[in-house]
Amino acid sequence: MKRILRALKSVYDFFAGDAILLAGTAIAFAAAFLLSHLATNALAAIAFVLLIVAALVTTLLREAGGSSR
Amino acid sequence: MIAHFGAVFVAAFLASAVEFVEAFTIVLVIGVTINWRSSLAGTALAVVALAAIVGVLGTALIRYVPLEALRLIVGLLLVLFGLKWLKKAIMRYAGLKALHDEEAIYEERLAELRARGVTPGKRLDPFGVATSFKSVLLEGLEVAFIVITFGIQAGSYKGMPGMAVAALGAALALLVIVGAGTLVRAPLQKIPENTLKFVVGIMLASFGTFWGGEGAGLAWWGEDLFLLALVAFYLAASGLLILLLRSGARRAGEGSERPTRRAIE
Repeated sequence: MKRILRALKSVYDFFAGDAILLAGTAIAFAAAFLLSHLATNALAAIAFVLLIVAALVTTLLREAGGSSR
Repeated sequence: MIAHFGAVFVAAFLASAVEFVEAFTIVLVIGVTINWRSSLAGTALAVVALAAIVGVLGTALIRYVPLEALRLIVGLLLVLFGLKWLKKAIMRYAGLKALHDEEAIYEERLAELRARGVTPGKRLDPFGVATSFKSVLLEGLEVAFIVITFGIQAGSYKGMPGMAVAALGAALALLVIVGAGTLVRAPLQKIPENTLKFVVGIMLASFGTFWGGEGAGLAWWGEDLFLLALVAFYLAASGLLILLLRSGARRAGEGSERPTRRAIE
C-alpha cells in the first residue's frame, strides 16, 4: 500500500507537484469544455485563458505569503 | 506550418537543454567521484530504457487514442508542466526562491558522496551505475514526455513527422550540452538556467493552452497565429507578476527590518 501511495505521489510530483495548479488547470479545462458548448467561442476562450492565469497567480500569492511569514 | 514546426523545434530544444544540464551534473559527479565506467554504464542503461518507453508509449498513443482526446490530455499536461516551470522561474526572478546554481549542486553532491566514503576505483560500482541511471532516466523522462506530446500535436508536413522535428530538437540539445560540458569539464553553471526555464515555461503553457483549447472544442482566431498572441499574453502576465511579487517581497523585507532597528535604538 505504501509503495502504491509513493508511486502515486511520484506521478503527481512529476506532472504537477502543486495542488492549486492542478485544481486550477482542471477547472479551466472543464469550464472551457462546458462553455464551448453552452456559450460563445469568444467567452469560452477568454474564460479558459484567464482561469489558467488565475491558477498561477493564486499559487504564487500563496508562496509569497508563506515566504514573507 | 513551417513556423509552427520551427516553434516545436525550439521548444523541444530549450526544454531538453534544461533537463540535460541537470542530468549531466549528476553524471559528472559520479564520473569524478566513483569512476567514468559506472557513470557511463548507468547513462547507457537509462538511454536504452528511455528509447523503449518512447517507442512503446509514442506508438501506442498515436494508434489507439483519438486525436481530440489526445489534444485535451496533452494540452492539460503541457499547461501543468509549463505553469510548474513558470512558477519556479517567476519566484526566482522575484527573489522568493534562490537561483538554481549547478555549480553549488555539483559541489553539494560531491561532498555527499565523499561523506559516504566513496573513493574512485576502476570496477563497475553498483551505487554509481544506479545513481547515474536514476538521474538520467528521471530527467530523460521529462524530455521524452515533451518530445512525444509536441511530436504528436505538431502532426506532419510534406511527409515530415512532427515527432521527428521534436526529437531533432532534443537530440541537438543533447549534443550541445554534452559537447559544451565535455569541453569545459565542469557543470554548466554559465547557462542561464532560470531564463531557459522561464522561456520554456512560457512556450509550454502557450502550446498547452492552444492545443488543450482545441481539444475542449474552442476555435482560436487566426488559427496557428494565435499562438503568438498567447506567448505575448503569458509573457506580459509573468512580467507583471514578477514586478508585483518583487515589490511585495521588498515591502515585507522593510517591514521585518523596522522592529529590529527600533529594538537596537
